[in-house]
Amino acid sequence: MAMSDVLPSALAGADQYVSAYRWMLLARRMEEKISSLYHAGKIVGGVYLGRGQEAFSAALGVSLRRRKDVFSPLIRDMAGRLAFGEPLLDPARTYLGSVLGPMRGRDGNIHRGRPAEGMPAMISHLGSMVSVVCGMLVARRFRGDVEAVGAACIGDGATSTGSFHEAVNLAAVEKLPLVIAVANNQFAYSTPTDRQFACADLVDRAIGYGIDGHRVDGTDLAECLEVFGRAVARARAGQGPQLVVGRLLRLTGHGAHDDANYVPEALKQTELGRDCLERARQHLLDHGLATVAELEQWDREAVHEVQLAVATAQKDPVPEAAGEDWRALSSF
Amino acid sequence: MALTYLEAIREALTRALRDDPTVFIYGQDVATFGGAFKATKNLSRDFPGRVLDAPISEDAMLGMAIGAAIEGMRPIVEMQFADFSSIAFNQIVNQAATHFWRTGVTCPLVVRLPSGGTPGSGPFHSQMMESIYAHYPGLVVLTPATVGDAYSMLLEAVALDDPVIFCEHKFLYYHLKDEALPEESLPIGKARIARMGRHATVVTYSAMVHESLRAAADLAAEGYEIEVIDLRSVKPIDSDTVLASVARTGRLLCVGESFPWGGVCAEVIARVVADGFNLLDAPPQRLNAKDTPIPYHPNLWAAHRPTAATIAESLRRLLRF
Amino acid sequence: MPLVPILMPQLGESIAEATVKHLGIVLGQEVLADAEIMEVETQKATMSVTVPCAGRVADLRAEVEVSYAVGATLGYLEVTMEEALRAGIELPETQMVSPEAQTSSVVVEENLHFRYDAGDLFAGDDGQPTVEPVLRGLPVPANATGASYISPRMRVRMAELGLNAADLAAVAGTGEGGRVTVEDFERFMTSIEKLPMTKASPMRVAVADAMRRSWTRPLATVGITVALDTLLAHRRTVEARPGPTLYAIRALAIALAESPALAGRLVGGRIVHPKGIDIGFAVEVDDGVLVPMIRDVDRQPLASLTQTYNTLVEKGRSKRLPPEAIGTGAATVTNFGTFGIVWATPIPLPEQNLLLGLGAGRQAPVWSEQEQRFLPVTEAQLTLSFDHRILDGGAAGRLLHRIATLMQKPAEL
Repeated sequence: MAMSDVLPSALAGADQYVSAYRWMLLARRMEEKISSLYHAGKIVGGVYLGRGQEAFSAALGVSLRRRKDVFSPLIRDMAGRLAFGEPLLDPARTYLGSVLGPMRGRDGNIHRGRPAEGMPAMISHLGSMVSVVCGMLVARRFRGDVEAVGAACIGDGATSTGSFHEAVNLAAVEKLPLVIAVANNQFAYSTPTDRQFACADLVDRAIGYGIDGHRVDGTDLAECLEVFGRAVARARAGQGPQLVVGRLLRLTGHGAHDDANYVPEALKQTELGRDCLERARQHLLDHGLATVAELEQWDREAVHEVQLAVATAQKDPVPEAAGEDWRALSSF
Repeated sequence: MALTYLEAIREALTRALRDDPTVFIYGQDVATFGGAFKATKNLSRDFPGRVLDAPISEDAMLGMAIGAAIEGMRPIVEMQFADFSSIAFNQIVNQAATHFWRTGVTCPLVVRLPSGGTPGSGPFHSQMMESIYAHYPGLVVLTPATVGDAYSMLLEAVALDDPVIFCEHKFLYYHLKDEALPEESLPIGKARIARMGRHATVVTYSAMVHESLRAAADLAAEGYEIEVIDLRSVKPIDSDTVLASVARTGRLLCVGESFPWGGVCAEVIARVVADGFNLLDAPPQRLNAKDTPIPYHPNLWAAHRPTAATIAESLRRLLRF
Repeated sequence: MPLVPILMPQLGESIAEATVKHLGIVLGQEVLADAEIMEVETQKATMSVTVPCAGRVADLRAEVEVSYAVGATLGYLEVTMEEALRAGIELPETQMVSPEAQTSSVVVEENLHFRYDAGDLFAGDDGQPTVEPVLRGLPVPANATGASYISPRMRVRMAELGLNAADLAAVAGTGEGGRVTVEDFERFMTSIEKLPMTKASPMRVAVADAMRRSWTRPLATVGITVALDTLLAHRRTVEARPGPTLYAIRALAIALAESPALAGRLVGGRIVHPKGIDIGFAVEVDDGVLVPMIRDVDRQPLASLTQTYNTLVEKGRSKRLPPEAIGTGAATVTNFGTFGIVWATPIPLPEQNLLLGLGAGRQAPVWSEQEQRFLPVTEAQLTLSFDHRILDGGAAGRLLHRIATLMQKPAEL
């Protein structure tokens, strides 16, 4: 369980890089649209954005096998969700309360999921999804599926919960192929990390659990791809749980309702405050992976796709209380 | 050959493991040790790899079971004591209980709760949790009172697609014996008339069924015929059987070992008053444990929970009305 | 020396019994405090049993491979008094025998902190049951006779059978405060089935209903003697020959016109005054009573009322009252004297406060101061029944006095 050193980012495959970039772009455009709809009064409830965390999230998403692995997103994982295979209509429908969405109006926003397709629907109680992923992996092990890897996304704040600790410890005991992706975005809502934990780096906790730990610059897509690629591979190879801690900064409020005025300007000017999407764009150009024209074309396509999804969801029927099946049990 | 309530549970676990490859058992000390109460004795030997020791992490144990259930397994989680399920409360009521309704994907798991008081067990090894779990939508809550029900209801619980809170009474584990396991049984959601009567109805469940039956026997000597209803399942609850009984007797006493506030007894009375007000010839009554933590010393404990004597006295007052 | 029992300990939560697997002591053996003397096996584990103090094994009842309930006595240890005291084993005073009387007779059975009889399956407390916090006596909101509290179930049964609380007056309740339980009720209903019964006429049922409703009020009656000679003399001078009832009707109307509030009904915190001085009078019909009403009696002289009165009596008897004679009047007059009754406490109509009753006239000797002898006087009893919530005895008495005075001046009526 040696701490991994950060390897040169050039190792990531070009195709994978482009793919991850396009998911990041789509997520960014989608969230901009969702945010806009929220401010236009079209969305009730919360809107939580992953701005600044797309590289970390998408890199994990593209490192997993769609429908074969498990991906448990949290509130800032639009990019990872899309990369893992969530249809863009899912967020559109869930945010807009369409009865055709996966949650049918019964739950909203980031609580959506497709548990039958390896993507559990998160509950609001932070830390509590990690053990659920453990269970999904245990089930696969019972079925003889030794290939499956599960990834649980979480933030720096949720690492303080007992639930998180219990689950990581359990995963370690069971030596489960679990990747725990901790996006350390420096704030849990408004609480800075120095009020959240006292260890030098969250990745150090891996030692205590007896699992592998990886640290990564969460603003650097190439590095994220490389680290997650390695973590997933190690988990799949039977090396047990992998704790990946990404350093980054949330480039938005906790939710669309939050102006994040508590984030110091100086912090935004540090390396943490770099926009991962901008960095990835520059990387594509610098390495000749895309032309400006292509980048613009991808952007137009993303915007178009977002428009289409939102337009479809807006026309969808909404749930009617009278037609609702008000039964919480399937058997009675 | 006589079989105890605990052995009936073990038999049901054995049969569930044998008949359904998706069943596995998860809990603290359940594997080689066989569980704190020996409910899983020899099961890890007989079903290698399917009876797993868990770390002392009730939250993660439940979360793990939920994840496995979502994936089509049928986990049976043993809480060492019902009291400790409070640590897993979030996973049970927010994750397991909401899952089917939110996502349409069922979450078939059973949480076995060794429940209720025994002498000397004190505040944290004696609790009854059925009322608090029944409060939450999305959970089936079972409270078997007999050896036969312990067996058949556990098997039925494992087969259900919903999360089931299975409240076993520790006091019955070794004390209660029966000659054989039942060939067939009432389905979950149906109450049982444990004793027929016409002067008053006692609605109860779990160990209190036996205390109530003793009280009914005492009152029979005084010329009163008391009907005792064993709810068996507190959720879903069989209001029809209760109402039909109150229609016969006109008088209702609910007896529960759990704390009085907002519990199963309160629910039964609320339903009878709302749906059967015109059946009542006397104000419906309830007898619960006292509204304090459960005391350690047997002298205090015996006075804290309802007993045959206090049930009989409550019935006398109810009959006098 | 005292004997201290060797007990089967409770070795684990909810463990009820244990099986002796190995005995490490023999009868007569000296053992040290805390010595492990036997091995027992529960459903959960194998464990040892220890002794709480040093002593000699005086009795050994435990047998290998036999199960004993938690708390069972497995044998006795004979200990010295000093050792018992040192170990803090409480000896009941009566058993604190002197060392000289060491006849192995002192048995310390009360040493248990936890007396839990596992042999009794559901042993609980063995003292007086304390039932709380429920069932605090279940107070019944009953009146002295207990008849007024009707349980929800009784209410429905009575409604099913068309019964009122008054119908249960004969039922002796066995419930709290003498209330009639459903069982009492059903027993009563079954018991009357054996008796001869006839169907009550609609008229009877209607009167019963009116009287029952009226009787829910605190009713009282005052009475006065009134001489009728002047009235009877006056009557002979009038062509239509009005009866004494009509004089009473007219006198009541005039008195009420002077202060209509006296005829008011109490509804909540307000007194509802009569719309006009309409006076009813009781007419006996088959199996009941009808009360035709004459409108505005205060504004019609006696002579003009006679025809109306006679017509209404006739129509009433044939139960064919005209619409104007039906309604809520201000008060009613009943001449129970026609039945030869001298005095009565009749019940006002439920919607009225006042009922004026007229008893049978009779000749009575009345002492005349003037003539210093008894004179024959025709006199009758005049009664006024009223709702005591509205009128007190004084007000009712003054009203009755006023009526009696008016009847003494028939020419003014």
